[in-house]
Amino acid sequence: MKFSQKVYIFFIVIINISCAAQQNYEIDLTEVDALYEFSSKLDKNLSNIEYLEREIIQINSKNPSIQRIVNQSDIFLVKNELDRSSSELERALRISINESAVYLRLAHIRFKQGLFIESKSFAERGLLQASLSNWEELLLKAYAEGIFIN
Amino acid sequence: MTFSSVIITFTALSLLFISALVAVIDSKVTNKLDGVLWTVPAKVFSRSLEIAEGKKINQSNFRKELDLLSYRKRDEVKRPGEYLVKGSVFKIFLRGYENQKAGIFNVVIKNNLVTSIKSQDKQEIDLIKLEPLMIGGIFPSHMEDRILLDYSQVPQTLLETILSVEDQDFYNHWGVSLKSIFRALFVNLSSGEIEQGGSTITQQLAKSLFFSSEQTIKRKVMEAIAAILIELHYSKKEILLAYVNDVFLSQSGRRAIHGFGMGAQHFFGTNIQNLDVDQIALLVGMLKGPSLYNPRRNPVNALKRRNLVLNILFLNKKIDRQEFENQSNKELGIVPPSFKSETKYPAFHDLVRIELRKNYEEKSMRTQGLRVETNINPLFQTELERSAQETKSSLVQKYGKSMEDIELAAVAINISSGEIEAIVGSSNPGSFGFNRSINAIRPIGSLVKPFVYLSALKNYQKYTLSSLLDDSKLILEMGNNKTWEPKNFDKKYHGEVPLHEALSQSYNIASARLGLELGYDQVGDTFQRLGIEQKLSSFPSVFVGAFEMSPLQVTQAYHTIASDGFYTPLRSIRNIKDSQGNLEMLYPYKIEQRFRPEIIGLIRFAMERTFVSGTARKGFKLEQIKPLGLAGKSGTSDEQRDSWFVGLAGDHLVTIWLGFDDNRKTLLTGRTGAFELWKNFIQRIDPLPIDRPTFSRLNYVWTDRDDGKLSSSLCKNSLLIPYIRGTEPREMPTKRALCLSRKN
Repeated sequence: MKFSQKVYIFFIVIINISCAAQQNYEIDLTEVDALYEFSSKLDKNLSNIEYLEREIIQINSKNPSIQRIVNQSDIFLVKNELDRSSSELERALRISINESAVYLRLAHIRFKQGLFIESKSFAERGLLQASLSNWEELLLKAYAEGIFIN
Repeated sequence: MTFSSVIITFTALSLLFISALVAVIDSKVTNKLDGVLWTVPAKVFSRSLEIAEGKKINQSNFRKELDLLSYRKRDEVKRPGEYLVKGSVFKIFLRGYENQKAGIFNVVIKNNLVTSIKSQDKQEIDLIKLEPLMIGGIFPSHMEDRILLDYSQVPQTLLETILSVEDQDFYNHWGVSLKSIFRALFVNLSSGEIEQGGSTITQQLAKSLFFSSEQTIKRKVMEAIAAILIELHYSKKEILLAYVNDVFLSQSGRRAIHGFGMGAQHFFGTNIQNLDVDQIALLVGMLKGPSLYNPRRNPVNALKRRNLVLNILFLNKKIDRQEFENQSNKELGIVPPSFKSETKYPAFHDLVRIELRKNYEEKSMRTQGLRVETNINPLFQTELERSAQETKSSLVQKYGKSMEDIELAAVAINISSGEIEAIVGSSNPGSFGFNRSINAIRPIGSLVKPFVYLSALKNYQKYTLSSLLDDSKLILEMGNNKTWEPKNFDKKYHGEVPLHEALSQSYNIASARLGLELGYDQVGDTFQRLGIEQKLSSFPSVFVGAFEMSPLQVTQAYHTIASDGFYTPLRSIRNIKDSQGNLEMLYPYKIEQRFRPEIIGLIRFAMERTFVSGTARKGFKLEQIKPLGLAGKSGTSDEQRDSWFVGLAGDHLVTIWLGFDDNRKTLLTGRTGAFELWKNFIQRIDPLPIDRPTFSRLNYVWTDRDDGKLSSSLCKNSLLIPYIRGTEPREMPTKRALCLSRKN
């Protein structure tokens, strides 16, 4: 099953559960359509490398010291100086090894460098981190499952 | 021929000779000064430690690191290179390195965690960087060592001190100064000792660049001509800079320290920009007699000379009386030399050179002033060397003289980054020579078993940790009437044993049977995924350890297990910069997922059992095992010729090998030899607990230790074992159900 399909089914299940919970609720098909539209849009966005980069830069580390290094890395990333951006992230990992914000960026940078196996591997490593937000998990899976090869 | 014609001919010939001489010297001067003036060896540094809020760091290790970097513990912090500790607060006067400014910082470390960093004016600081330790260089044959400075990097105080002491008329003469000669004569006569020389800075430069040190009239004349020519061709600024970079300051073993940049590093462990007036005065004072005024060998002379230089600065109104008195009362403040010959750590240096050779020619390494930042952790390296020496001594004590020739190798790496932190290639770690960590290719014994078992667990529908393996007698026909019969270390057969038990107890026959069942291709595939380059031979003995690897190769393979199935090429170098500090090359962190982390979780469980009930059971307390993520495997080759131990502790993976170079029997097993060294090192570095990921696909189920069937925590002989979800044992023997009901 494609990743986008999984996302779509996930939302449908959520809708059904909420419907079941509120027995008096009448299903408004326009909302389902809106949801379907959102899901397709998300799928499209997660296949768009520029969109992903914009979203990844929004993912911050909870540790302010690491965030400072991550910011420095982002400056290089935006300038497309990928080696230097990556080198900054390695500095961050030497301070703390459990930073999903860092693994996400490394997955993205390796993807931009055309190193797809490494990109996937960094994403898989990021997915092993505890307390990931749903959005972080979704972004990491985009690289781990390689949904945007097109 | 008339007398006048003789005179004319002689004068003409003399003029011709002088012109030719001048032309020769001129071409020498321009060739040398216009071309590459100095060969600057590559400098090799340790990793620089960055401290940030939220970083886990062992407080006592941090203190040791400061000591290694020659920071002095004081009651009051006044100068760069000093620190004090009050409870959990470290007050450090950083010397400064690259973009890290020098200054005082307060670092709070509570429960091995950095909780705050503040500057002296109480500003919150995110991150500070300690300077790295210079651990070696790659030298040309003449062993001259220098750090090339450009004019903007030379402190004004240094220039003023040089000019005040060596050549006060520098900006007014043409290379030679009669005034200087007469003034030096006057000053020296009136003080009764040689305070000033008559040579200008340009003459000194000419002498150092082109002539030997013999004191003859001819040489003096040539030196004067060269000095004038230098002045004709080059600006005062260029001459001064060349002088600053060229002067000879000290001999350190085979290494010759040239230039003030290297001088600052060699005597004060810091950049020239961070030196105070007294330190500059000491270095400038040494020019008159680098050996006589060497502050390490002749501290009294050096102090006297330094204060004389400070006095000259005071008399020339470069410093006021107050400063003169303050500076004159200071100690010399020099640090011990970081290394004397080529490097402080030969085994690590080998590795760096092998790595460098892939990208640089030998000549570039020796001459272009590359700055190589490595991954070596100087503290771990020091501790590993100590552990090696201590373990060898205790083996000699325990087993007698036969152990005097025992050799060893050790590799310590950081698991999460794949960075090589320390490496030892000999029982005498400071010596150059055969580096066993890279070059000793030896049978790995039981270290091979986790690779075989991993090949089985990859096929998790068929094999689980409690699958029963056959450890009964095995005799294989090998052709030509030959047979092969593996034996267990305890010479016994154990019948059916659960897989985890067979691995943690290192049963040879079970491993051989499992390997044969899986086949060479499957096991070979695992070897390849782990990062082992050698091909697996088709002999059953490979499944019990007849497979040869170096300690570094073993570390590479085990790293893939330690890092949850992600293969990373191990790295000794972090980056390379050119002599101006511009980044030339990065050695990036690469990873490639080779195994699912849950599968590795299973093999790690079995390796953890080594510490619970296997060969490492006497090393650590049971409650330390989980938080430190302790896991390991010992190995003993045929007839105890090799003793191995590979272990994980915190974020560190360490491989140890012991054996004789001539391959004779050692009397040691993996436990009695290599594990002792491993334990000694781990206790020294006192690793911090780590947060291991939890794998949702793993389910822990109480299982019977003998039959591998379902059990309960209430039943005897049960063990909590991880399974990939869906592969847990489901059947519980009736007898065991009774045990459950009895408890209830």
